[in-house]
Amino acid sequence: MTTLLICPSIRPAVPHLAALGSLATAPVFGDCLLGHWIEHMAARGAREIRVITADSSERVREAVGDGERWGVRVSIIASNTEPTRAEAVERFRLAGDSGWLPAPDDVVLMSHLPGCPGLPLFESYSSWFAALIGWMPRARTPSRVRVNEIRPGIWAGSRSRVSPTAALIAPCWIGDQVSVEAGAVIGPGAVIEDRSVIRAKATVTQSWVGPDTIVGSLTSVANSLAWGSTLTDWRTDSSLRVPDRFLLGSLAKPQSAPATDRFGRALAAKEPSRSPPNVIAALRSGMSGASDIKLPS
Amino acid sequence: MKIDNQKQCLSISEIPELTAANSANFRDQVQSALKDSPSVIEINLSQTRFMDSSGLGALFALYRATAQRKGVILRLLNPAPEIQQLLELTQMQLLFEIVRR
Repeated sequence: MTTLLICPSIRPAVPHLAALGSLATAPVFGDCLLGHWIEHMAARGAREIRVITADSSERVREAVGDGERWGVRVSIIASNTEPTRAEAVERFRLAGDSGWLPAPDDVVLMSHLPGCPGLPLFESYSSWFAALIGWMPRARTPSRVRVNEIRPGIWAGSRSRVSPTAALIAPCWIGDQVSVEAGAVIGPGAVIEDRSVIRAKATVTQSWVGPDTIVGSLTSVANSLAWGSTLTDWRTDSSLRVPDRFLLGSLAKPQSAPATDRFGRALAAKEPSRSPPNVIAALRSGMSGASDIKLPS
Repeated sequence: MKIDNQKQCLSISEIPELTAANSANFRDQVQSALKDSPSVIEINLSQTRFMDSSGLGALFALYRATAQRKGVILRLLNPAPEIQQLLELTQMQLLFEIVRR
């Protein structure tokens, strides 16, 4: 059985979600959006999945490979523009071509998560967050073997480290290889993607923390999407690039060209320690002695 | 940066950014203006588009100075959305009276 998946192209309302080059590769509960759709379609009986993308087909290919891990064959079709469902049928499904999944699974625009057409992902940042929270109970799919529901409404990766003094409040999702340090508060309404670090006494509530993100000690991420150093308030769409990595930052390796020359390697070797101080210590630094502000006596 | 000191009210405005590059200067200028013992200090952040931990530290230093003195009111006026986000991320919005007018 065959199916066509249409990758959503640029959506002006949510530019930060395409940070990895395509909305189809946006991280969602430990996989990318396209990965969840391939898994869903494989469960529906699809064995050949054709993916139409108007964005970087290399990024899409990189994200899902040839489909082997789902037991399907995935082919990537580059397109200049994002086709509508009708255009995709006309251009990529030959008349009389049999062996397709029955509608509506034969051609799908991935603008929502599988099984949740009423929760659009890309209309706004608030719609993205609402869709994720709505889909959370379904997110523990058969391939998410490393994430378990440890208490009602609380999912955590088996390779994650959660301090016994951290508070987990349902609903919340803690992905794989996440570290939640002492006194942190996660939830309600929190999604922490894989490999992120929530440092001591930080709070994450009604928010999504993207993969490979460090949330600094004593900080509060609320009503926001935090991915790398970008903090977006999903209520107002206001975005901030946080300048100080000890408050919010990325743990991912930079995607710029590697430092292969001698000068670049020397600079890389001099990179400062990656242990960030906590926020109060940092704010107090430089406030002692002469740099203090004093009111006249 | 503009500093206006009238009728016991110290108003600080026109701060395009408050960062490591200018936070020491901000502290020095504020320190000088405090000699007139204002009872109200208002920092207008409506034009501030960029702030880092040094800028937050300068605000925190002013907060500490005023917290030790009864009767002195410290207000932040009209922070831009991204500055409001930074204040909320660091929980400094709990320390300051933030006024929109």
